[in-house]
Amino acid sequence: MGAGLSMTRDGGILEPLLATSPEVDDLDELQFALGEGPSGDAIATGAPVLETDLAGVAAGHRWPAFASAGAERGVRGTFAFPVGAGAAKVGVLSVYRWEPGPLRADQVKDALVFADAVFVLALDHRRGLSTDLDEVIEAAFTARRAEVHQAAGLVAAQQRIGVTDALALLRAHAYSSAVPLHRIATDVMAGRLRLDSDHVDGTAPGGGGQIVPPPTDPDASAPAGTPDPEDMGSPQAELEQEED
Amino acid sequence: MSASDRRVREVFIELSDTLVDDFDIIEFLDRLAVRCSELLGVSACGIMLVDHYGALNLVAASTEQARLVELTQVQNLEGPCLDAFTTGRPVQQADLRAADVRWPRFAAAAVEAGYLAVQGIPMRLRDTVLGAVNLLSEVAEPLSDDTIALGQALADAATIGIVHQRAVARQEVVTEQLQAALNSRILIEQAKGFLTHSLSVGVDEAFAVLRAYARENNRRLTDVAEDLVQGRLSIHGADSASDAPPA
Repeated sequence: MGAGLSMTRDGGILEPLLATSPEVDDLDELQFALGEGPSGDAIATGAPVLETDLAGVAAGHRWPAFASAGAERGVRGTFAFPVGAGAAKVGVLSVYRWEPGPLRADQVKDALVFADAVFVLALDHRRGLSTDLDEVIEAAFTARRAEVHQAAGLVAAQQRIGVTDALALLRAHAYSSAVPLHRIATDVMAGRLRLDSDHVDGTAPGGGGQIVPPPTDPDASAPAGTPDPEDMGSPQAELEQEED
Repeated sequence: MSASDRRVREVFIELSDTLVDDFDIIEFLDRLAVRCSELLGVSACGIMLVDHYGALNLVAASTEQARLVELTQVQNLEGPCLDAFTTGRPVQQADLRAADVRWPRFAAAAVEAGYLAVQGIPMRLRDTVLGAVNLLSEVAEPLSDDTIALGQALADAATIGIVHQRAVARQEVVTEQLQAALNSRILIEQAKGFLTHSLSVGVDEAFAVLRAYARENNRRLTDVAEDLVQGRLSIHGADSASDAPPA
């Protein structure tokens, strides 16, 4: 039937933003109006909700009002993919079908990748960046690394901002300095780089990145040539760093 | 029944206990990693799960040192976990000093950290492989068949824990739970980073504080992490972990 995108400012209420058809828009609005449905559950849990049959018993128990309203409209397969990472929650990608039954495994993977790409675009939009598509795909891929999320937590605590804004700040600094995101994250965690959130309202690409002198703690500055322990599995990035 | 048989039984009961209410996947996998090391007589254990890019993500490790060694696998796309995951079969290397061709970077990192033998065990669910468990040992000798069989049973327990139910799960449920586990790990990393700043501690200590707080207050680790990062909770350190404002 199609797909829709709902976004949230604060990780709470989802507001429908885009839909590929009026039917999809209607269903996203319905979830919004009723305050229940797969999309709300997906953003709450941070995991996809894959309902193969909205007319089934399980869906009726889980979302009584939405399931009956959806079934009345003839929609069966209802799938929701969170747009976000950990505590950073910006929206949900919804997919609806007239037929019951599961999505194929490759369709689920595609939807998860699209949701990651939307996440990067939403982060960059907060800082007024216009990122090209290749870079979005690459960023979506590397944003899953542990060090990036540790750095986002650190920046959130330090600047008293949300994790979403902290991630946006890290992304913007990586973009403006042309340094890979995970390197920025490593520098932040090692205390070698401090990011300033003065321009969190989204008008100044890059924000104020400030190189700080190495701290006195000898553990905090990794010796050159040490493998980055923060890399959490990005085949593309790894393949690029063919080292001796 | 020998003492070790009794201990094995206790651990399986403990692991199945976590399948009921207030289940927390990261807490569960962390505990499993520690119990694996203990029961199998190995030095350390790491657990990796696959994401939707087909990349392995480290979700639990029994020690910080093991975590660093395990990360060299995902960084360099080589190692026993990768092989166990790709082939769906157990992978053994009884002497890592002889593995410089098989896994040059992983073997070097492991040997440098003092690990001389490794065993990779796939986490299988029917025809799907969800990830792999890695066992690191300081002694350069192969694990016995009994130990490997017990390791596979523990890996199966981890798989069941992720799927969160004993019944044969539908693929949708597997995807939902696997993604939930990966997302929980990200949330924990964010909370660790948050605490490193607010408590001026290292990443490991931040995690220890987070876990201690969750246990003392009988709350799920991921719930505590989320409340902390969202500013709904403050934690003031290992000795005085509390959400009361500082005196």
